[in-house]
Amino acid sequence: MKVLVLGLGNELLSDDAVGILTVRRLSEELKGQADFAESAVCGLALLDYFIGYDKAIIIDAIKTSQNPPGTVMSLDAEHIPPVAAPSPHYAGLPELLAISMELKIDFPQEIRIFALEVNDLHTIGGAITPAVVNGMGELVKVVARQLREWNMAYA
Amino acid sequence: MKREILIDPITRLEGHGKIDIFLNENGDVDRAYLQIPELRGFEKFAEGRPAEDMPQITSRISGVCPTAHHMAATRALDDLYKVEPPDSAKKIRELIYSLFFVEDHALHFFFLGGPDFIVGPTAPKGERNILGVLGKVGMEIGKEVIGVRKELRELISLAGGKVIHPVFGLPGGVARPLKKEEQTKFIAGAEHAVKFAQFSLGIFNDVVLKNKQYVDWILSDTYTHKTYYMGLVDENNRVNFYDGKIRVVAPEGKEFLKFKPQEYLEHIAEHVEPWSYIKFCYLKDIGWKGFEEGADSGIYAVAPLARLNASDGMATPLAQEAYEQYFTTLGGKPVHHTLANHWARLIELLYAAERSLQLAKDPEIVNPNVRTIPTEIPTEGIGVVEAPRGTLFHHYQTDEKGIVKKANLIVATQNNAARMAMSVDKAAKGLIKEGQVDDGLLNMVEMGFRAYDPCHGCATHCLPGQTPLWVRLFDAEHRLIQEIKHNGGL
Repeated sequence: MKVLVLGLGNELLSDDAVGILTVRRLSEELKGQADFAESAVCGLALLDYFIGYDKAIIIDAIKTSQNPPGTVMSLDAEHIPPVAAPSPHYAGLPELLAISMELKIDFPQEIRIFALEVNDLHTIGGAITPAVVNGMGELVKVVARQLREWNMAYA
Repeated sequence: MKREILIDPITRLEGHGKIDIFLNENGDVDRAYLQIPELRGFEKFAEGRPAEDMPQITSRISGVCPTAHHMAATRALDDLYKVEPPDSAKKIRELIYSLFFVEDHALHFFFLGGPDFIVGPTAPKGERNILGVLGKVGMEIGKEVIGVRKELRELISLAGGKVIHPVFGLPGGVARPLKKEEQTKFIAGAEHAVKFAQFSLGIFNDVVLKNKQYVDWILSDTYTHKTYYMGLVDENNRVNFYDGKIRVVAPEGKEFLKFKPQEYLEHIAEHVEPWSYIKFCYLKDIGWKGFEEGADSGIYAVAPLARLNASDGMATPLAQEAYEQYFTTLGGKPVHHTLANHWARLIELLYAAERSLQLAKDPEIVNPNVRTIPTEIPTEGIGVVEAPRGTLFHHYQTDEKGIVKKANLIVATQNNAARMAMSVDKAAKGLIKEGQVDDGLLNMVEMGFRAYDPCHGCATHCLPGQTPLWVRLFDAEHRLIQEIKHNGGL
């Protein structure tokens, strides 16, 4: 079974770096248990990353403002509602999933999204905020647990 | 009763990238404002960092067109160190850049323009997406789009390192030469790209140009502005994405200015409005005269429509043919119809593909000498390229060790900001009458700026990774009287 762990974010934008930093940590701690990648792109450009994998985990920042910063949230890709995006740059995961299914592309059958509630996504050159740094520890554990489950099921 | 309609993408760029439409007592549009996010803080962030880091750092500004920033920054470094790259390095850069254009323009046409033009602007909103496009043109085409993009991105990685954030550009050249066996792959990829571009123009011809309603929309006054146009041109005034002089043509089509990238500050200035974060670029030679079109107003446009207007032709044969057909069909030069951007983009797609093939076949492309080592003490460097979305300026001043003291960037969307603002205002005024507003009409207002392929700044991948739109109606006292959610968020 081929598993991808993809960290999304922009290192230049404060807490938005959390996906990237987490995946770097995971790639050291869980070396060999999955393929690890990081990206700052969005929408359809992400498609290329997923092709050829059986399962995938996405790690990203999220801003709902309904949870304390540092809260880990777990989502299924198919449960994020699709949208009529005004720009390809905004096409999201639901579109990716829909397109890949429609076109019968070799795409992961299961995509789990783990996101960390963040404070600041806008300050260029801003440091990652303390609550988010604290949340990263839990995020690493949650991803590790998911990988273990998948690997055991396929062992 | 005065009402306000708000089209507001609630993304990470909260408070930006929205359209406010103010209705007067009759329900007609009083004024519509487009607010687009401004790249803020980046120039400060660059200060104190080594100039050599700029191609890597600036490519992270955008999750959309990192290759364009990488290239503009690399060209600024050439200028900063006063170093001329060997021909082979220039050709490798332009090859990679051309492939990037193919990939980016293809994405735009099928995924962004497609919903408006292939599915139709007033189709039910659930169908106005890429799946709707594929439903119309066939799933095989979807596979082809994705397949071509994948092939080209692999080629870009091969030569440029990481495809997302390329690392090949260095002052005076590129990081490594192309190998002979790689050249074969590039030739095959570029041949594929040419076929794909021809095929895309064929679709445009069949689906758009043969549909009278669509052609009427393109030609309608609602989507028309007579402004100046800017673009990079080669020594024969043909479109060039990577190198050349900046040429500006006047609204009646004659050359108005032609200048070196290093002279941009003599000709371009920025205007600030209280209601927008973005600075509106205008031609200094004319001056800021408000949001007015015509030869007396300094407002200009960039991007495909503008590039074709600002040039005398395309440097490759098939694209030249398409260029001639375009101007003949649309009534000669210049073309002032904003929605013609979509067609112009496909002509550029064909040019980029043909140019890739020319460069891939060039024997010089595998010359191992790809770097001129800089020896000058740096002070100031300016680099300009055409990004898919328009002219992109990078300007750095450094100390003698090459540490950035001051950086100035003008991104494509800033060049287009004033014309885009006018487009949204005019489309809203032309389409919304007596308070009659529906989803299809609002989409057609959005089309007025979507044609420019505006880049909303930094990466927008943050979850929910999508742009729910909403419309809010306010009465004269700004009380919310109606709210329409276009689509849900989390």
